[in-house]
Amino acid sequence: MDPMEVFKIEVTGQEEYGAKKYREIIMDILQDLGLIRSIGRLYVYVDILKPFFAVYGLLRSGIPPLTVKDVGDVLKVQGGYQIKINDEEHMADLFRVLWERYGRERVEQPARDIVIIASDTSPSELVVADLEAEFLQDLTDGLVRVAPEGFRNRRNIMTKDSFLFIAAEESLTPEMVSEIKEKIREMENA
Amino acid sequence: MLEPVMFTGGLYKHDLVVELVEDLGGYILQKNVTQTEIILLILVPSEDKASLEALAKELRGELVRAPLAGTEVAVVTPTLAIHHLPHVACDIAEYLRRHGCKTNMLGLARGVGREIAQIDEYETALINEHDAAVFIFGNFQDCIKKKESLYRNISVPVVITGGPQMEAKDLPYAFAYVPSIGRMAHRSRKATEIGSLDRIVEAVGRALDKTRAAIAKDPLTTSPPRVMDAVREQVPDVEFSYSPLPIALDLNGVRVKLPYKDYKDAVRAVTFDEGVKLGEIATIKPSRMKDYILVRILPASETGFVF
Repeated sequence: MDPMEVFKIEVTGQEEYGAKKYREIIMDILQDLGLIRSIGRLYVYVDILKPFFAVYGLLRSGIPPLTVKDVGDVLKVQGGYQIKINDEEHMADLFRVLWERYGRERVEQPARDIVIIASDTSPSELVVADLEAEFLQDLTDGLVRVAPEGFRNRRNIMTKDSFLFIAAEESLTPEMVSEIKEKIREMENA
Repeated sequence: MLEPVMFTGGLYKHDLVVELVEDLGGYILQKNVTQTEIILLILVPSEDKASLEALAKELRGELVRAPLAGTEVAVVTPTLAIHHLPHVACDIAEYLRRHGCKTNMLGLARGVGREIAQIDEYETALINEHDAAVFIFGNFQDCIKKKESLYRNISVPVVITGGPQMEAKDLPYAFAYVPSIGRMAHRSRKATEIGSLDRIVEAVGRALDKTRAAIAKDPLTTSPPRVMDAVREQVPDVEFSYSPLPIALDLNGVRVKLPYKDYKDAVRAVTFDEGVKLGEIATIKPSRMKDYILVRILPASETGFVF
């Protein structure tokens, strides 16, 4: 069963096999990149005679930014604050943020998972990483991987809750873009 | 008649196999050592195969027929990008290798797209140095038809693989078309997928048999394994080549992986027991692959004799 609410794919001409296979490819790639849970609906429209490849998707609710208290436990200690790291994945980002905020001389790391800050202000609300931006970056990467390789003229229109990715072999014309938008609206309403 | 077989077993005492093959008048084509395991590609006279089988059994090794041994096949993808690699291309190349053939993976510089796909003279010539080529295409019928220009000028048999079912008449320049193996983003592990790989091996086998039949009508002056043996003996530097297979066998010659400029005369001067020099019975030219030496054995109709 598809983890998405809606996943429609339409290919012009006698290309049922291509449509079926591209469905598998899209699922495989989105799963590999861990993006599938964040996409609610997906509409794919391919015209292989023009040729172009378009993907329109609706995103699930936004991901909140990652703060210091999400990556570790913040404790008040003598002369400052101590962070006990639980999630090492964002260590580099954490240090970049702490150095920016407090300066290098005030940030110490006596052990692998302990960071001590010599300051009176708590670091717990500092933003370590913008996960949404990372997600959008991964999503663009995934879409580039999904599109057939020769389709190198690309356009990626991203809004807060949706994206429209178009790839074609020839230059993209405004008529082509509006045709795709029209078609996708039809698919949505069908 | 020499029979191609593959021996897989422990490294310990494998030299007994090598000695037996040499005593029987066969040839060791390739030797792959992986830690304590060894894989030997062997040509052995078919009437003596039983004695080799007995020895393999005694050494607790495995001896299987490798129908594609002694041939070189190009596995061609439109580019080397993530869209085509690793899954499909590597699966096909690896599967062909398991049947004994030497595969070279080739990514074209501008093979992508429907209208814009192209191949240049160098790439064509490089593919023509092989015995057969497998072109890996995608999932759309129309694109596979349009990409005919990529292999129209290739003189070796070309096996096309793609997703949809297609008629042979739609692909007049292809030797064979194998469906159900178009672009995919996962490894081949289902029985149907492995079945498609089997069909590719079978199609490549047929293509090679066709070339063999064509060669048999005007036989080569000598056999490529014999040239390989003589070169290995008389140009000892070839053993120091960094390639895993310093002398690659083709159906109509060999590729010696030494710099052409420095070694062409040494290869040309290789002499057989009959007193004939390699330069007299073969053309020795630079290979399109790196700066290797390409040896193409002349047919009997040109030299007037066979030995």
